[in-house]
Amino acid sequence: MSAPASPELASPSRALPVVLARERGLDPRTKILLVVACSIAVMSPQGSRFVPFVLLLAVGLAVAERAWRRAIGLPLAALAMWVLGWLLPGWWPNPVTAILSIACVYLIRFVAAIGVGAHLIATTSPTRLAAALRAWRIPRPVSVTLAVMLRFFPVVAAEAAAVLDAMRLRGLAGAGGLVRHPVLSVERFTVPMIAASLRASEDLSASAILRGLGSRRVPTAMHPPRFGVADLVLVPVVAALVAGALLLPAPLA
Amino acid sequence: MIRVEKVTWTYPHAAAPSLRDLSLRVRPGELVVLCGASGSGKSTALRLLNGLVPHFHDDGVLVGAVTVDGIVTAGAELDELGLVTGSVLQHPRRQFFADTVAEELAFAMENFGVPPERIRARVEEEVGRLAAHLPIGQSLQRLSGGQQQQVAIAAATAHGPRILLLDEPSSNLSADAVDRLVATLRALKERGVTIVVAEHRLRYLGGLADRVLVLRDGAVAVEWDAAAFRAVRDEELAREGLRGAVRPVELPALPAAGASVARPVPAAEVPGGALELEGIRCRLGGRVVLDLERVAFPVGSVTAIRGVNGAGKTTLARVVTGLQRGTGRVRLDGRTLGLRARQRASAIVMQDVQRQLFTESVAAEIDLAGGDRGSDVLAELDLDALAERHPLALSGGQQQRLVVAAVRLAGRRVVVFDEPSSGVDRRHLRSISDQIRHVAADGAVVLLVSHDEDLLALAADRELRLVPAEPVRPDRSRG
Repeated sequence: MSAPASPELASPSRALPVVLARERGLDPRTKILLVVACSIAVMSPQGSRFVPFVLLLAVGLAVAERAWRRAIGLPLAALAMWVLGWLLPGWWPNPVTAILSIACVYLIRFVAAIGVGAHLIATTSPTRLAAALRAWRIPRPVSVTLAVMLRFFPVVAAEAAAVLDAMRLRGLAGAGGLVRHPVLSVERFTVPMIAASLRASEDLSASAILRGLGSRRVPTAMHPPRFGVADLVLVPVVAALVAGALLLPAPLA
Repeated sequence: MIRVEKVTWTYPHAAAPSLRDLSLRVRPGELVVLCGASGSGKSTALRLLNGLVPHFHDDGVLVGAVTVDGIVTAGAELDELGLVTGSVLQHPRRQFFADTVAEELAFAMENFGVPPERIRARVEEEVGRLAAHLPIGQSLQRLSGGQQQQVAIAAATAHGPRILLLDEPSSNLSADAVDRLVATLRALKERGVTIVVAEHRLRYLGGLADRVLVLRDGAVAVEWDAAAFRAVRDEELAREGLRGAVRPVELPALPAAGASVARPVPAAEVPGGALELEGIRCRLGGRVVLDLERVAFPVGSVTAIRGVNGAGKTTLARVVTGLQRGTGRVRLDGRTLGLRARQRASAIVMQDVQRQLFTESVAAEIDLAGGDRGSDVLAELDLDALAERHPLALSGGQQQRLVVAAVRLAGRRVVVFDEPSSGVDRRHLRSISDQIRHVAADGAVVLLVSHDEDLLALAADRELRLVPAEPVRPDRSRG
């Protein structure tokens, strides 16, 4: 699944080819299309029929990316949903399992779609996403905002983890406290998290703006996005998925 | 080149101006150091030069004129100023926009519309230069503080600005990383780049600085030229609240056994202590990040945890405090403690203390910590007048003291300080070291994770120096 390296960097005489070579893997635009198409397919009225295929795709992407935890976790999560959603109510019919079943029949679609989305987030750097969106002529405010959001996910995740650690050490993170004082517990988590995230975002945006992010000049890309063989294989798949979701007869409709 | 004429600047909602009638000039190719105690206005003066003041603070009040490379900053767009100035903020880690060295170096050039071939050539040149000092394929967040600093400087100068602005570049660096910083600055200066540095550690700039300006209350109080600065004594620096030379500090080693220990001793020769770790092994991301066969930390004294990034300092702190699972045993006063018990027995004073202030007033924060000596500890830490204030409205130093107060009241037996002195001046350094000493004197086992040799010299009794338990593999850019 590798896009061909740009010719001027592929020559063996170049030093540091690993670092400067075009990123292996799909073009960001293909990844975005995949996420959109898979979401449409599994969320359509007869979406369940696409779930096995989308799951397979998500696992395949995870394997290509060598994200083993996701490659194993996704099928396991889907298996659990399938057992709870389809098998359990048959074995042990009662109102609780029925409600659980309805929930899981829907959640399994999310598992599949999130699996494909995780590949986009894990393998696309903010600058490459912005370059891809520019290639699509997406307006600047949108592309810059999305790139900044993508950059900001890990910051918020890191801050949240640190605040949770601090709460654990102060004895504020237990399930007991959450049940007794739900609002207070959430407040104690969110206030420091937002404060810390804001502070981190201030440095990030100051530096990015000074380095021209969102400037009026027309930006370029070190490696302009380019479709490769893998992209050409997957785009028809995308088209087929969307067509299937929209055109296949839905008995309930 | 840079001209500041009688500038007075007041931050939004501030009672008093941060800069008062400040005037300064920097000639092309000069290296000028702005120094002064915390709150003297040196960082603000730097932000004046790249336009963050006034553009990044709506409703601030600016009087006077600033001209940078012929551009009047107040009337210019920030990116116009970014084209002629490169800025490195205090925490390089927080300002990276990309994940890899190459992408970070290309970032400014991409935004300014440099043709792709020129970006690639330029990035290749810079990457070649940096490859001598750091693993180029590594994710930026995993580099050491010194390596991140190198990348941040390269990323700020890749698009060829003639002016470089650095905010406390040495604040998180060890002595040898400071030497590399000096070499980098020297090379830039030889290329004719004008450099302005805001700092409170000064001596390392001795051979480079053309002028040193000491700021006090937002104006230049003292000016030294290169020769005068070299003649200034350490006592005079101390009077201005400035830090002198960065001296490597040698501490007696704590005997310890295991692959993570820099100078291990046989396990049988490790003496007992209040907090004992045995057979600790932690794997993260398929790599052994901490391997301690046996070590014991004594009560009532301060043990420095030192070592390069990736040596397992943070992991050790997390194992001791019960935030990280691992094989092996942790014993406190002879009793083996599980994860929960360790969490209840310990505390961390984090580098970003804002993350651990949970309530709406200083008094409530103290109540939450429990104990009955609340008012005594508040008075001792000079916080009693602030009891009704919101913790997030306090200054960084006050927040840190509040967290320390809560830790002391809760009577935790194991206390970890994580880089408590980043970016503080000489006076505050003394106060932080006093805090650490007090916690130890209260009868706690204190671990101090820090690169700051000035702080270690004041606050630590002995050191445990860690090395990576397994060589770091050059891994994929994203994990």
